[in-house]
Amino acid sequence: MVAVVLAGCNGGTVDRHALTNDAATIDSINCEAWLLSGAVARNRVTTYYAREQAEELAVQAGNFANALAHRATAAGLEPRVRAKANDASSLASRLWRLHDRPTDRDGARSLAAAFKRAGSCS
Amino acid sequence: MNPKLLLNLALGILAAIGGFVDIGDLVFNTAAGATFGYQLMWVIPIGVLGIIVYSEMCGRVAAVSKKAVFDAVRERVGFKAGLGALVASEVVNLMTLAAELGGVAISLQLLSGLPYRVLLVFAIVGLALVLWIVKLEWMERIFGYGGLCMLVFAVAAVKLGPNWAQFGKGLIPHISQNNPWLYLYFAIGLLGAAMTPYEVYFYSSGGVEDRWTPKDLGLNRANAIVGYSLGGLLSLALMIVGAAVFLRHGINPEHLGTIALGAEQPLGKIGLLFAIVGILFAVGGASIDTVFSGAYNLAQFLGWEWGRYRNAAGAPRFFLTWIVLLVCALGIVMTGVDPVMLTEYAVIFSAVALPLTYIPILLVANDRDYMGANTNGPLANTLGMIYLVLIMVIAIAAVPLMIITNVGQN
Repeated sequence: MVAVVLAGCNGGTVDRHALTNDAATIDSINCEAWLLSGAVARNRVTTYYAREQAEELAVQAGNFANALAHRATAAGLEPRVRAKANDASSLASRLWRLHDRPTDRDGARSLAAAFKRAGSCS
Repeated sequence: MNPKLLLNLALGILAAIGGFVDIGDLVFNTAAGATFGYQLMWVIPIGVLGIIVYSEMCGRVAAVSKKAVFDAVRERVGFKAGLGALVASEVVNLMTLAAELGGVAISLQLLSGLPYRVLLVFAIVGLALVLWIVKLEWMERIFGYGGLCMLVFAVAAVKLGPNWAQFGKGLIPHISQNNPWLYLYFAIGLLGAAMTPYEVYFYSSGGVEDRWTPKDLGLNRANAIVGYSLGGLLSLALMIVGAAVFLRHGINPEHLGTIALGAEQPLGKIGLLFAIVGILFAVGGASIDTVFSGAYNLAQFLGWEWGRYRNAAGAPRFFLTWIVLLVCALGIVMTGVDPVMLTEYAVIFSAVALPLTYIPILLVANDRDYMGANTNGPLANTLGMIYLVLIMVIAIAAVPLMIITNVGQN
């Protein structure tokens, strides 16, 4: 139990290391969303899969947005942390759009471009 | 091939797909590939050989002495020490069962779009009906062969055109200079997932249920080698997909659905569907393994009647145990805990519990009173001892590495 608590401690102040990790995770979600929306645009996934996976990612991004918007930050980092919160919030909004319209191939194509740009995906 | 031999091999295939490739392998192999590319390939053959060595050993014990693992544990190491092994194994089994059931519900959700919690209840009721009504041999066939859809990851891995030079280098054991703690955490997770204790509990109890005799020692060996090697190939494929799709695009696969996307990339919608169905059968089969393992262990340790070939009236406490385990697992996943995160904890804690499972097996397999002429030979003993040392190191290092790396999140 102690090990679980020690290993799972992930709250508290956002320092440079935590910000780097969180930024990497947001990029990762962006890149996965890029692959997913690209697959929707090319009709390579089922509607249910697109909707459920988009929801999973949207919830994850939303949690990041919420945490980064409200957690205390180390001195001098607040502007960058709040900017990342906005990035995560935009990501979540786009993913909810994909979730709501999993058969809209044109919409998915434009979302894919936005995800790719935001996550600097290759 | 002889139809009877083919049928009997289903036991090995079920243990491989439903037991070797379970949610723990799916999560750790894909994440290891996505984080370290091909660098951790060498861990997989080591884990596969370890589970083959110990499964063959406990299958042999079952065939010769007609005793499954916890029968032997209780007799060989006594009540107190055996109780420690029992408690550890039941806790890890329950965590694993909860994670597998979560995986079943997620797979069904990706296929149907229905709400997760509704599907959890559906999965539990469906599984209970299968366990109650369907004969063990049919369970083996349904989940063993359904789980073969996982081979889509092998096709995907080949189609993705892996870097074979890096693949070859990855098979040579080494330590990564880049983030060595995280690398070791993944190495231990991969070994823990490959050698999960419930696999040998299920395997040996299945041997007793199938009434193996010393005449079946060849079948036992074939089951262990063919079944787990197949599982190992799938693990390699998952790691290749992790490297070729997720590492390449900078994605950390944190959801079960993401793993299926790895098959979609090279194979399209059909690959995605095969992957989800394969995952469904693999985690469904592993749910059966774990729930039965939990019931087998308790019943064997306490000397109750046990076995799927008996009806509920013939082994009431055994049946009650697996029903209680299913209900407890449902309670755990209904809290909303993430099955993938639960899997990581289950695998790491199972690594801690490994010696409690494998030491008694080695002792019993060397006991002439039990085994007569079929005691371990020099090869089995040498490999058994090497793996025992490895298991001890893993057990000691697992929790500190989990803390240092923040459960692999670093």
